[in-house]
Amino acid sequence: MFEDHEIISTIEMVKNEHLDVRAVTLGINLFDCISHDLDTFRHNIRKKITGHAGALKSVCDAVGDKYGIQVVNKRISISPIALVGAAFSADQMVEIAHELNEIATAVDIDFIGGFSALVEKGMATGDTALINALPRALAETQRVCASVNVATTKAGINMDAVLQMARAIKQAAELTADQDGLACAKLCVFANIPEDMPFMAGAYLGVGVADAVINVGVSGPGVVKRAIERNLENGPMTLGNIAEVIKRTACKVTRVGELIGREVARELDVRFGVVDLSLAPTPTVGDSIGEIFQALGLSHIGVPGSTAALAMLNDAVKKGGAFASSHVGGLSGAFIPVSEDLNIAQAAHQGFLSLEKLEAMTSVCSVGLDMVPVPGDITEECLAGMIADEMAIGMINAKTTATRIIPVPGKKAGDSVYFGGLLGEAKIMAVPHMADASLFVHHGGRIPAPIHSLKN
Amino acid sequence: MNKFIITVLTQDRPGIIAHVTRILFELGCNLENVNQMILQTQFAGLFLVEAPESMDKEHLRQTLTTRSEGRDLVIHVNTLEESHETGMDAHGDIFLITTIGPDRKGLVAGFSDILAAYRANIVNLKAVFKGGIDPRDNVMSYQVWVTPDMDTAAMFADLRKKADELGLDIRIQHKNIFDAINKI
Repeated sequence: MFEDHEIISTIEMVKNEHLDVRAVTLGINLFDCISHDLDTFRHNIRKKITGHAGALKSVCDAVGDKYGIQVVNKRISISPIALVGAAFSADQMVEIAHELNEIATAVDIDFIGGFSALVEKGMATGDTALINALPRALAETQRVCASVNVATTKAGINMDAVLQMARAIKQAAELTADQDGLACAKLCVFANIPEDMPFMAGAYLGVGVADAVINVGVSGPGVVKRAIERNLENGPMTLGNIAEVIKRTACKVTRVGELIGREVARELDVRFGVVDLSLAPTPTVGDSIGEIFQALGLSHIGVPGSTAALAMLNDAVKKGGAFASSHVGGLSGAFIPVSEDLNIAQAAHQGFLSLEKLEAMTSVCSVGLDMVPVPGDITEECLAGMIADEMAIGMINAKTTATRIIPVPGKKAGDSVYFGGLLGEAKIMAVPHMADASLFVHHGGRIPAPIHSLKN
Repeated sequence: MNKFIITVLTQDRPGIIAHVTRILFELGCNLENVNQMILQTQFAGLFLVEAPESMDKEHLRQTLTTRSEGRDLVIHVNTLEESHETGMDAHGDIFLITTIGPDRKGLVAGFSDILAAYRANIVNLKAVFKGGIDPRDNVMSYQVWVTPDMDTAAMFADLRKKADELGLDIRIQHKNIFDAINKI
C-alpha cells in the first residue's frame, strides 16, 4: 500500500501541477515509399502512415485514461522529405505537404513533422526544392511541421542556406499575414539537429532508426516549480540542494513518460524509441518555465542570474532523466519559448527579457530563439544574422540550437500576436538594428567548422 | 498442512507482538506472515501460522486466551482454507481509486457497494477522515483488483457518478503510475 503522502502527491502532480505527457510521437520510416512518380509516392506514404498510425490517437487516449495522465499531443515524425522526395520539384513538394496534412487529419493527430532537410554541408536537388516549397507548404497546411539543419560542429555553418531560410521565413510569414505569420511557428532552423528527434516543430525520423518507433516527450515545469517551492517552504536551501530537488523531480516525470510511451508502443506493436526529457511549458499559469525562475528567487526570467539558473535547471533535468531512462534522445532539457510560456512572454513585454539576453540564455538551454515574434519589417539580412548567431552558438559549443522566429507582417514591437493553443500569445519583441542590411550574410559559402571538430 | 489465521485486537501499547509470538513459538507454530496496523489508538494484528498437525483450532485459541488474561486482548482464530479463491487468481490489474472531499456518513459503503456489484475485489483500503477543509484530511483510497472480464468502463462511470453526487473529487489510476512516481 502506498503512504498517504505518496497518493496525495501523485494526484496533486496531475491535478494541480499539470503533470502530463507532452507528446507521444510515432516515427515512421518512408524510405520504402520512394518513387519517381508523385501519385505513386503519395499513395505509398498514405498507405504506410495510416497503416501504422490509424490507432495512435485512440491508444494514447486509452492509455492516458488508464493512468490518469493526459497525453496532450499525438504526433507523427517521418523520414526527411528532402531525402525520400528528392526526385520532386518545389511545386510537387507542396503537393506532398498537402498529402501529409490530409493524412494527419485522417488519423486525427496534432502535427506531422519531417518536412525537413539536412543541408549543413551543402544543398542537393531535393533540399533546394524543399526549401523553396517551405513558404507555401507551411502556409497552405495546418499540421505539417518543418525543420532545416543548416549547421553542425563538424561541418560549420552553411551561410547560403541561412540566407535562404531567412527568405523562406519572411515569405511564409507574408503568406499567413492574416494569422500573424503563423506558418513560421511550424518551422525550425537548426544547428546540430539530433539525428532523430521526436519534438515538434523540428521533429523527423532519423535515418538509422527502426521502421516504426514510439517516442515520448515529457513536460512538467509546474511539477518542478512546486517541488522547489515546497522544499523552500521548509527553510533555506543551497543551490546544490535545489538542483537535487529538480533532478529527483525530473526523474519522476521521466518515469511517467516512459511508462506511458512503452505501453503505447506495446499496444501499437512497434518499438519503443526514446524519451525526450524536455521541460516544455504551456501558455497556462502554473505550467511555466518562467515561473521556475521566480521560484528560484529571480524577480523575472531575464534579470541577471537567469543564465546561471537556466544552466542549473537544464543540467538537473538531464541528470534526473538520465537516471530514469536508459533510452533518452531528442532535445532533452529546458525550453524557453517566448509565446508558449505566459510568464516568459510577460517578462519580455515588461522589458526584463531582451532579445540579447534570450540569445545568451540559449547557450545553456536545449533549443534557442524559440517562438520569438519580431516586427514584420525586419530585413532578410537581419533575420539571417540572427539565425547565423544562433547557429554559431550551437556550432562552437557542440550543442543543439535552433531558431523559430516569426516576423509578424504589418506589426511592430509591442503589438500583440495570438497564435492559439500551445503556441500561445505574446507581444512582439524589439530587435535592435533590425533595418540593418549588412553584406555579411550575402558573402555566402560556409563558415568553417571549429578546430575541435577534428576530433574523431 | 495445518494453517491458522489469528486476529488480535487491543489498545495499542508496547509488547503485544512480543507476547503473541512468544506463545506461538512455544506452541511450535511457524509464523508465516504478520501484518499489523494502528488506527488512532487501536492495535490490530493478523498472524498467519503453520501449526503442528496435532494442534486444533480450539486448543490454539484457548492457549492464547488463557495466557493473555489481564491483557485485554480480543483474540480470534480461524482455520485457513488453502483452496479458497480470492478472485485475484485470474489475470488482472490493480487500480487505485482515490476520493478527496468532505466527510459524511456512508462514503465507504457507497463506493464499496458499487465495486461489489461489479465483483471488483478491494485488496486494500485506506480511509482517513479528520474533517476540516484541507483535502489531505479526508481521503479514501481503494486498491481494487480489476479483471479483463469486468465492465470497467461502466464501473468507473458509476464510481464517478457517485463521487459527483457526494461532491467528491475522484481519481481512478492504474497502480503502475504510483509505482513510477514513488518507488524509485
